[in-house]
Amino acid sequence: MNAVLKLELIVGLLASFTMLTIFIWSVKKGGFDDSKKMMDGMLFDSEEDLQDAVNRENKQKALKEKKLKDIKKAKEEG
Amino acid sequence: MSIVKCTHCQLEFDETVMITEEKSPDVYFCCNGCQGVYHLLKDDGLDSFYEKMGNATIAPPVESDDNAENFDLESFKQRYIKTTAEGFSKVDLVIEGIHCAACVWLNEKVLDSTDGILEANINFTNNKAKIIWDEDTIKLSEIIEKIRSIGYNAYPYEQSAEDVKASSAQRDYFLRMSVAVFGSMNIMMIGVAKYAGYFSGIKPENLHLVHMAEFLFATIVLFYSGWIFFRGAYYGLKNKIINMDLLVSGGALITYIYSMTVLFGANGHSYFDSVTMIITFVLVGKYLEVLGKKSAVDTMDKIKSQVPLEATIVEEGVKRVVSLDEIVVGDIIEVKNGEKASVDGKSIVKESIYDESSLSGESLPVEKQEGDMIYSGTINSGMVMRYRATKNYANSTLSTMVNLLEDSLASKPKIEEMTNELSKYFSLTIILLSIVTYIGWYLYSGDLEKALIITIAVIVIACPCALALATPIASLIGISWATERGLLFKEAKFIETFAKVTTVVVDKTGTITEGNLTVKKQSQELNPQDLALLYAMADSSTHPVSRAIKKYLEQEYEKIEIVELEKIEQLGGRGLKAEYKGQTILGGNSKLLDEHYIELDSKSDYTIYHFVIDVRVVASFELEDSIKKDAREMINYFQKIGVEVIMATGDHEKVSKKVADEVGIKTLYFGMSPLEKAELLTSLKEQDKIVVMVGDGINDALALSKADVAIAMGSGADVALAMSDVVVLNDSLKGIKESFIISRRTYTFIKQNLLLSLIYNMITIPLAMAGFVIPLVAALSMSLSSLIVVGNSMRIKTKEL
Repeated sequence: MNAVLKLELIVGLLASFTMLTIFIWSVKKGGFDDSKKMMDGMLFDSEEDLQDAVNRENKQKALKEKKLKDIKKAKEEG
Repeated sequence: MSIVKCTHCQLEFDETVMITEEKSPDVYFCCNGCQGVYHLLKDDGLDSFYEKMGNATIAPPVESDDNAENFDLESFKQRYIKTTAEGFSKVDLVIEGIHCAACVWLNEKVLDSTDGILEANINFTNNKAKIIWDEDTIKLSEIIEKIRSIGYNAYPYEQSAEDVKASSAQRDYFLRMSVAVFGSMNIMMIGVAKYAGYFSGIKPENLHLVHMAEFLFATIVLFYSGWIFFRGAYYGLKNKIINMDLLVSGGALITYIYSMTVLFGANGHSYFDSVTMIITFVLVGKYLEVLGKKSAVDTMDKIKSQVPLEATIVEEGVKRVVSLDEIVVGDIIEVKNGEKASVDGKSIVKESIYDESSLSGESLPVEKQEGDMIYSGTINSGMVMRYRATKNYANSTLSTMVNLLEDSLASKPKIEEMTNELSKYFSLTIILLSIVTYIGWYLYSGDLEKALIITIAVIVIACPCALALATPIASLIGISWATERGLLFKEAKFIETFAKVTTVVVDKTGTITEGNLTVKKQSQELNPQDLALLYAMADSSTHPVSRAIKKYLEQEYEKIEIVELEKIEQLGGRGLKAEYKGQTILGGNSKLLDEHYIELDSKSDYTIYHFVIDVRVVASFELEDSIKKDAREMINYFQKIGVEVIMATGDHEKVSKKVADEVGIKTLYFGMSPLEKAELLTSLKEQDKIVVMVGDGINDALALSKADVAIAMGSGADVALAMSDVVVLNDSLKGIKESFIISRRTYTFIKQNLLLSLIYNMITIPLAMAGFVIPLVAALSMSLSSLIVVGNSMRIKTKEL
């Protein structure tokens, strides 16, 4: 009985500390800086928004690559 | 006539004044702006915005007079645009017109889909946006135009050191508070097992295991979340001040150390749960304080973003764009239509028109002659004009107002100082009592552990709870009651101040009066042909008088033929001139008639608009700003209960006196500038009066910041809303009376609660000191006292308003 209790406690603690770690990481990344957006944002979560996020990432990647190329080119020329 | 909602902004209007479309009979628009944005969003596949909006309303889009190309100027770039490590450009903006989460969604979505924009992140809480873009692909002016095209506007702001500090403090406190809440919730769950074990029996080894888990959570909460209290107590002691932080950290630490001795072998009960509870409750209160400070910084950034960026000076016929700090007294400054004057000065042109609503609150533009003062922050509503600077930027009206607002935001919470002062004595008394208890019991019994347990009981029983809850719980119920009635109290402390009010100062335009001109009298009926011409004339100007005439015609006449006028000419300060099929048409004031040698006896106390076709006066209209229907009732109520009511307005004597007489106000101050209004408030406060200020315009912002309680009407200017402590959402003056009644009743209950908790402390502290209360009972009685206070507070809402 004692062993079961111990196990339950350890698993419970591990689970809650994992959640806490994820939460702290999210706060530090600024995920909770905007309380209003965080609450209302849930209402708008949809597949379309996920697709938008993917498109945004692709666009950022392309722009960064282009910028790097431009800088490289400018260096070669200058 | 039925009321319908505008399909875009969702504001309600009479169906007859709405713009409709033959192709889609179900859509209605209140203006061309709304219609334009609606079609733009529909064409771009963004019409799901309207589903996301729900029941929220937004402001109809307003065409901006600012030239977006200013955003591409070199001086702008140097001041506001930063370069990221990867070589992209970054700017911080304040987005105007964001009302709901759907607005944020729409702006982000539109910006995200624009080529060249890497990141567009808008903070809904403070309407600030961070935009990162590639300068080679898109210009900032194009991004601003994009935002304007969907009905919003954007201003740059410089991220101040205070903003960075406030944001980081907010994040830090949020994290500490969340960890404390996490720890408390876990300990509460574990506590169920522990307290159940007291009654049903629990094996010592299992109890030890439970204590170990509690110890783990309590350690994290005490030393991570509670660190700020230790820090506060340390700095307090260093400066020889005993503060609430010392009581909280000291009480929690002693309880923690005692519980540890129990965990590692001593007899007794552990109180790790009390440790986390004490830290968590007090930390939540602290976090709310930090949020308040952050919102003050955000307000200041919004105000600063309204300041013009640069000015055009003319030197020997050559124009040069300079930053505001470079302007010196004597410089000639050129101001285009729609631009703001940057510094104070004197006009050097014969005639010009200025919108001084930011200073006087009056919506009618003011005519300026050569030599008249031009104030910074006012907008040129006429042609391009020039004036000579008489002050530099730092000493000008606009800069003085911004500085005064900044000071007032920093110095507002004086009631907080009083509370801290009180809690200092309370903390000191409790610490002294617990030391006396410890020494007394140790000397009396010689038992160290017993002395320690009794001392902890004293600290636990006296710790925050009832006394700390007495005010917040009653305030919370009062505030929620007020919110249900459309009255937003930004902070609980204003309930107390409002309840003690001795003087109410009200603004005129927009507060006592509707703030819009309406036609009171029409001299003659119009035939359909004249009606069509007058409507076309009124429709071709955005002047408040023209707008009022247009609205009146739409309400009075069911069918108006649409005709197109030719050669429309704005005659500054007089009206409009146009032609139609060879006829000369005039619309404007008596000066316009004099100028065209048309004789008419038209003396009136009201604003007059004459409509003339080929020197024949077709009709004259008298316009007036009407008084709100519940103004008299509200003023009577305050006067009846002995509260002095004063009217302070920027308008001239004649109109102000008429309004004051009509609503029964005896004390009147007219022709006041924003600074004079603020001085009036200060002088009233110096006479030991508790002053409530009610206003709605930018011109009231400074006076609002000086008031003990600032009340703004919901439809007021953004700055006025930001400076206010209470917002009356429905614009009704009855709301002010209701918020006073709610405040007074809540304050009565706060006093009752304080009395109850005082009685509790007077009974329990001596009992605990005498050793009759063990810490467990102390913790229970602490909860019981809280319940009594909560129960009493629930009675606040039982009164009918």
